[in-house]
Amino acid sequence: MLDGAIPGPAENVYLPKLAVLDGVQDEIAEVKTFYWHFVDEAEQAKFRAFRPGQFAQVSLFGVGEFPASLPPSPTEDELFFTVRNVGSCTAALHALKPGEIFGVRGPYGNGFPMEQYYGRNLVFVAGGIGLIPLRSCIVYAMAHRERYGRLQVFYGARTPSDLMYVRDLKAWEESAGLECHVTVDRPADGWKGNVGVVGSLLKKPGINVAVANSTAFVCGPPVMFRFAIKDLLQLGFAERDIVSTLERYMKCGVGKCGHCCIGVAYVCVDGPVFTYEQIKKLGEDI
Amino acid sequence: MKARLMRSEDLAMLVNAIRRRGYEVVAPFCNKGRDTYYDMVTDENIGRVRLHVPNPYYPPKRFVLPPIERLLRVKRANGAYDIQATYEAPKRAIFGIRSCDVAGIYHLDRFYLGREFPDTYYARRRRELLLVNVVCTNAELDISDACFCVCTDTGPAARDHFDLQLMDLGAGELLAVAGTPAGEALFEEPIFTKAAQEHVERRRQILSEVRKRFKTTTCWFSATVRYVSQGSVPEKTWEEIGNRCLECGGCTYVCPACTCFTVSDRPTGRDEIERVRIWDSCALGGFTRMAGGHNPRKSVHDRRNRRFFRKLAHYFIQRELSMACVGCGRCAAVCHGDVGMPSVVEMIRRAAALEEKIEPVPADGR
Repeated sequence: MLDGAIPGPAENVYLPKLAVLDGVQDEIAEVKTFYWHFVDEAEQAKFRAFRPGQFAQVSLFGVGEFPASLPPSPTEDELFFTVRNVGSCTAALHALKPGEIFGVRGPYGNGFPMEQYYGRNLVFVAGGIGLIPLRSCIVYAMAHRERYGRLQVFYGARTPSDLMYVRDLKAWEESAGLECHVTVDRPADGWKGNVGVVGSLLKKPGINVAVANSTAFVCGPPVMFRFAIKDLLQLGFAERDIVSTLERYMKCGVGKCGHCCIGVAYVCVDGPVFTYEQIKKLGEDI
Repeated sequence: MKARLMRSEDLAMLVNAIRRRGYEVVAPFCNKGRDTYYDMVTDENIGRVRLHVPNPYYPPKRFVLPPIERLLRVKRANGAYDIQATYEAPKRAIFGIRSCDVAGIYHLDRFYLGREFPDTYYARRRRELLLVNVVCTNAELDISDACFCVCTDTGPAARDHFDLQLMDLGAGELLAVAGTPAGEALFEEPIFTKAAQEHVERRRQILSEVRKRFKTTTCWFSATVRYVSQGSVPEKTWEEIGNRCLECGGCTYVCPACTCFTVSDRPTGRDEIERVRIWDSCALGGFTRMAGGHNPRKSVHDRRNRRFFRKLAHYFIQRELSMACVGCGRCAAVCHGDVGMPSVVEMIRRAAALEEKIEPVPADGR
């Protein structure tokens, strides 16, 4: 026994809280948005203090748990996850019907330090479903518009039918407070927008990416990530001003199970938000 | 720390005194050969509790972190769910835990109870645990060919983190050192008598003698920590290490300082499941594989690199105040490919030595 050295049985961090599925919205093929709320109102209130960029562990009883980004901004009223049907747990969530119960615990992770960006321009570069974790940050910045400089969103998907959150994209494109540029790799009939990878938007004539006093947020598939970083560095962004959010296989979400480690970092507690400068120093490839 | 003296023939009386205080006592038992295992002490087997036995192949880690541990139970009735956390934390003493394993549990303490989310399950078990450490002094029985605690600075005598420490002074005498108030409370037993300065002196002499009886001496730890932390171990060396790893996960399962687990739900009846955590291993291919198939650590050598980086990197040593290796030698004993810790330290040392290329000049060269 180590008298005094061992804390008492603290709150059990592994205990999921019951949640109800309110509704489901199709996004793109195999990707849906799940609106939900906690059964317990106090839990709901506690959880809603999450920061953009944090995540939660979603429990499907009898199947397991998976980490899911929190795409809503804490300034919004509704809680929801946007999840691709890719494994056994996500398939179980996709099979859930409104009114049915599942479990949620969190929020976990560091999240984006939104107060550090006060007065700065925010440049979002997202590819495919990489828009999910950045959505929270974009909506949050819009809700506190006066705290930030220019807001620019550069979003690319494979085809027009792979574009996420089309209702948000439409609102952002129409919004005066934010510049939203969308591109697709392969256009479909009737597509009048940009064609090309997301990096091509950054270099497109007529588009003036805010570089001075700016922070760039990058999220997307590994190939897109590598090229976007290269493009941003070429534009003159410092490594510490490029921010990303990483994903890993996770079991606990609280820095214990060991699955999400990248070099010195436990992505669940040290991340998932890292600057590119930090990512390079982790000691292991991402 | 306060020390008392006791007779080695009173060992069973000490064990019984601990049992009388309400502890379930586990101790290493030795069968034929070196087959040693931790088992619960009963009235029947108490006569077989020995001071000197080979350290059990399976570490006592499972008494704070069971290989399979139930976390919670979920019941469903009429569409409503009930989630109950399930705790099991018996008042337990490990009698005869070796110094390396004491260091292992202390490492687990800092990992599981440290940082922002202390682990309730671990904390509950740990609070009820009493550690009676035995110093390895018998070169034939206590020290195996693979032991290297002298190189990890964790043995043969633990300096701290035990409740009570016993050391054989020879001539039927044991020196008992209390590390905590719970350990000191045992001194109330009539089997303990006063110790004198001469006994402490004898302890010191025996220890300095026993240090020379270790067969595996991996004296390159600090250099290896530096190479691993700086990332200066050549990729080729990690590949060599990876080529010899059979991905069985044995090293992690016998390691007293390994912490990783996976979580799984299992059905336990109609509309009833339980969530368990199970020891997991970074040696296994699926350890980092994400849904959809992307695996950031695809190759074996990336996974081996991970194990030794996690154990030896300076960053983690600063955070946890020690290496995640306690020198017990179990990974060396378990590994079919001979890439346990001592061998890896040696391979890294050799690779570093070869890095300094000396170019011989031919006789007619200038």
